[in-house]
Formats: sequence, C-alpha cells, structure tokens
Amino acid sequence: MVMPVDDEDLVFKALADSTRRLLLDRLFERDGLSLIELEAEVPQLTRFGVMKHLRVLEEAGLVVTRKQGRHKHHYLNSMPIRVIYERWIDKYRDRRAAALLELRDQLESPR
Amino acid sequence: MTIASQAATATQVYQLYIRASQQEVWDAITNPAIVAKFFHGAQVESTYEVGSKLRSLSPDGSDTWGDNTILECDPPRRMVHTWRSLYDPVLAAEPESRVTWEIEAQPGGFAKLTLVHDRLDASPKTAASVQGWSYILSNLKTVMETGEALPPIM
Repeated sequence: MVMPVDDEDLVFKALADSTRRLLLDRLFERDGLSLIELEAEVPQLTRFGVMKHLRVLEEAGLVVTRKQGRHKHHYLNSMPIRVIYERWIDKYRDRRAAALLELRDQLESPR
Repeated sequence: MTIASQAATATQVYQLYIRASQQEVWDAITNPAIVAKFFHGAQVESTYEVGSKLRSLSPDGSDTWGDNTILECDPPRRMVHTWRSLYDPVLAAEPESRVTWEIEAQPGGFAKLTLVHDRLDASPKTAASVQGWSYILSNLKTVMETGEALPPIM
C-alpha cells in the first residue's frame, strides 16, 4: 500500500464527497466501529461502497484502522484536518477574515 | 451518558506524518527541552525506563500536571505510559487511562507518529479534554519542521 505523506490533495478529495463526510460524521459520533457496524450506520450503501469510501478516507489519513483481537476498528483521525486548518485557516484568519467580518458588521449594522 | 457515547470516547487515535527521521521524533518526545516547546511549556522528567515515573510540572514548577508511569519503552519505536490529568481536580478524580506513542520510519524522510489514548471508558471528562492532543501533536510537527511553536491557544 502506498502511504500518504502530507498530501493535502488526498484530504481535500476525500472530503469532497457527501458519503465520505457522512462516514466521518458517524465515526465522530461513535469512534472505533468495525466494518459491519459502519455498514449498519449507512444502510443506503453496499458493503462494496462502504469499503471503497473507507479506502479513500484511509489513504487520506482521515481514518486509521487498528486491529484488536479478530476485529478491525476504524477511528476518525482529526490530524489531517488540523494540519489543513493551521495551514489554510489559521494563517488567514487574523488578517483577511477579521477584516471581512468587520466589513460585514459595518454593512449590516443599522445606521 | 449512554453506552454508545462512552464507546465513542474509550479509544482515541491521532496519526500524523512529520518530516523527520524515526530517531529524531523519538528524541523529540523524550527530550524535556523539546517537550516543553510543544506541550504547553511543561517541565518533564523521566529516565524513560519501564516502571519509572514520567512526571510533568507546570512551566514555573509550581503545579504537578502529571505523575505517570512508563509501562513500555522500545526506542525509537514505541512508548506506553499511564495518564491522569492532575492539572484539573475533576479530571484527576477519574480512573487512570493509557497513552501509546508509536513511531514508524517512512520513505522520503518522513516518520509516521501514531498516538493512541485508550482505557478511557470510565473517564469521560478526561476523554473529552484530551482531544487537545491534536493541538499538541500539530505543535510537535511544527516545532520539528520549522523550529518554532504555534501560537498558544489560550
């Protein structure tokens, strides 16, 4: 398996799909689910579909699997989002975002 | 609290890639001068031998933040230690949990760091609070890759 290394493209592509975001939301609510449990959480998907989407999430580092006994558990890994947050959001937050929010407040405030 | 939400917090996994060698990451997490840079300025002391203490104090040394025990130590790959959040009396009253650090060498000059915080089943408040690992580990990555720490969150 090719290990993803710091690849933001993989993370953005993985997140650009509502089904995969749904799977992440389910893991956010109940972390450490097995494949069978995840299938039950998204009955609209086939087993093949769940596995396909999990593979994309795993390659992006958003899901990490750990074996415990005979079961493979799927964990939400927030680190790739954290790294993107610091790279893309924190950096601009203070300058541009603050300026835009101030502009909005000025425009929206009653005169 | 429902069984489902307890299960949700019983084990937490944090995994990231750092542009450094396996040995460099190991050295960073066991070097008090570097730990202070990424872990809220904590003063850490330990011999990192199995059974030895892993103590951490506030930056000025006045508060005890952690008084844990090294359960496993296999440099530069793996370290396991107990966890109790002594910096907060409510968290400190909860049962002990466990932290596992795993470092794997990766191609291209990277190391993969996986931190697993588990045995949190009976410690829901600790489980909620230690989600701060994402900030700590992101800070470790920044310190190792740029030499600078992130701005403080609080």
